[in-house]
Amino acid sequence: MRRRSATLLVLGLAVLVFGVCGCRRPSEEAREPAGRTRLVFKYQPLWGAPEPFRELLARFERENPGVELVTEALPNASDLAHQFFLTALEGGADDFDVLVADVVWVPEFARAGWIADLSEHFPPERLRADFFPGPVEAVVVDGRTYAVPWYLDVGVLYYRKDLVPRAPRTYEELRRFAREAMAKAPGVQGYVWQGRQYEGLSCNVYEALWGHGGEALGEQGRVLLDAGPAREALGYLRGLVAEGVSPETVTGFSEEESRRVFQEGRAVFMRNWPYAWSEAQKPDSPIRGKVGIAPLPTKSGEPGWGTLGGWQLAVNAHVSPERRKLAARLIAHLTSPEANLVLALNYARNPPRPAVYEDPRLRAADPFIADLKPMVERARPRPVTPYYNLIADVLQSEFSAAVAGLRTPEEALKRAQKQVDHLTGVDE
Amino acid sequence: MSGGGSLERERRQAYLLVAPAVLVLAGVALYPILAAVWLSLHRFILVFGERRFTGLDNYAFLLSDARFWAALGNTAYFTLVAVTVEVLLAVPLALLLNRAFPGRGLLRASVLVPWAIPTVVSARLWAWMFNPEYGVINRLLPGSDINWLGAPGYALHAAILVDVWKTTPFVALLVLAGLQGIPEDLYKAARVDGASAWRAFRSITLPLLKPALLLALLFRSLDAFRVFDAIYVLTEGGPANTTETLSIYAYKTLMRSGDFGYGSALSVATFLCVVVLAAVWMRLLGREEGAR
Repeated sequence: MRRRSATLLVLGLAVLVFGVCGCRRPSEEAREPAGRTRLVFKYQPLWGAPEPFRELLARFERENPGVELVTEALPNASDLAHQFFLTALEGGADDFDVLVADVVWVPEFARAGWIADLSEHFPPERLRADFFPGPVEAVVVDGRTYAVPWYLDVGVLYYRKDLVPRAPRTYEELRRFAREAMAKAPGVQGYVWQGRQYEGLSCNVYEALWGHGGEALGEQGRVLLDAGPAREALGYLRGLVAEGVSPETVTGFSEEESRRVFQEGRAVFMRNWPYAWSEAQKPDSPIRGKVGIAPLPTKSGEPGWGTLGGWQLAVNAHVSPERRKLAARLIAHLTSPEANLVLALNYARNPPRPAVYEDPRLRAADPFIADLKPMVERARPRPVTPYYNLIADVLQSEFSAAVAGLRTPEEALKRAQKQVDHLTGVDE
Repeated sequence: MSGGGSLERERRQAYLLVAPAVLVLAGVALYPILAAVWLSLHRFILVFGERRFTGLDNYAFLLSDARFWAALGNTAYFTLVAVTVEVLLAVPLALLLNRAFPGRGLLRASVLVPWAIPTVVSARLWAWMFNPEYGVINRLLPGSDINWLGAPGYALHAAILVDVWKTTPFVALLVLAGLQGIPEDLYKAARVDGASAWRAFRSITLPLLKPALLLALLFRSLDAFRVFDAIYVLTEGGPANTTETLSIYAYKTLMRSGDFGYGSALSVATFLCVVVLAAVWMRLLGREEGAR
């Protein structure tokens, strides 16, 4: 009897011990067949037929004999992917080599020492020569390259060609055109955008901030909130709702809610990303052929700056130097002009290189993407600071309070600045 | 046991037998709690790459953090209203289900459907139904254009509605179990004495149902206090944090901002609230058991 209970105890302990240790990933050596290197690429699924992308990856394997590429998909939502990398890289995970990073992550990951310095392979000067300025600004931290732009996204203005004379250039024009069209076409709303408390709202606010002549960062890289243009920007967005140019319901809208209203033909203007275009042009779309696309308006009338979105490729700093070299080669392959073209033609992802927009193959196949060039050129990143993810949540809640009319822009910005300064440790 | 086994030996054996379970529990339950408490005593923000012991600093900031108090208020309001409504709806529902009528089995099963659907899925469905522009709810209410999830006064109530829809069946099931434990004889005796149905309900059903009701209140209020998934899908805590509960605030601070120190302090505070709530209910339940 005693022996049996001792056995039970040992068994129980064994379960505990193996339960805790059993989740460890096999080491690099164990998972690698002799003479071959497995390179693991963590990315988000690209919607569309898988073949062109698979062929792009297969070409790398053909050009690098002995290398086996393994792709591992991530959740599509950016914040979930961020959470994955946060926990994996903080824990020193070395079971993936190349990773995709959202534009606002690169400074954070670089500062935390999670992604490798790639300046040797991709000198900042060369990036500046080959890529649009916005994405370069997002991946070069303190003069060093930490990632390479893969594809871009930019905030643009959609307008109904049949309801307004032309695209508005100023905020004043936007309001006037919207009101005139609403008077002519009852049941149609003026301007829909993303006012829900989430990252999309911050993108809308930053666009308004730039349109009022503001900057995202002040001296010494401090995130600038309690300043004139920020107050004007929030005042403008709140004003749209208060005056009825935008429906009150925009305070609950993310991309899809606004797109559906616009797509049903019930709005004159919409701020959204380029993806909404292909939906609007589908055969059964009520607004097919009636939609124009333009840079966002500004206070002064010069073309506006859309928020830069999109993904970059970086190298896990926890992997060995030899693997890093190989990883950099994969990044060079996946961000080449040819690869940019594959992504643009098959997945409607905007190339980060200006030269690709002039490619006759792109012009012939998809004029819409080619026409986005002037807007992509002016795309701007949100504050490029390691602290962006630390403070994003504070920005979202205070921006939301101002847009929903719960606080004045002055109050909201003061509160936000106070919390941001507390978090980042800057004293007034 | 067979022949000469002393009590002492049996006791030792018993300890040995429960030891693995205790160890597993300590590993999966106690360790994370202690780790969170330990982390909450540090300034530990991932992007800063430093981890500094700061004692109770995080808790001092928490006490002066307006956002924490607002989240606590939202959580308490959500719990109070949701659980009250759920119990008020569940009792008549359980009384109905307790009656004999054709198709009762089918009805009992179908009532449980909302509870069986994963919350994330049902919350997504509700989010579409609440959509003020093309959602079915505003279409069912003629002339209404309520901004359900985007207006500060409405969003929290919309979340409560989703919770009530989802968990009323569960409460009803607990109440039903309580009802079935009441001996039929008592009702027969009451009828003989000429008591009305209402009188029977008040003097027999309600007092004997009290333990089951208290248990339902305990389960539901602890659960509601930790609410995360439904609200996260519906509003992510917006607009302007008016639907932000303690769990959502803690999650955002930990997993989005990477502020592990303060996020842990928020988690510990949530944990303490739940412990206090549980202790209060357990006392009430214990008193009830003792009275019987």
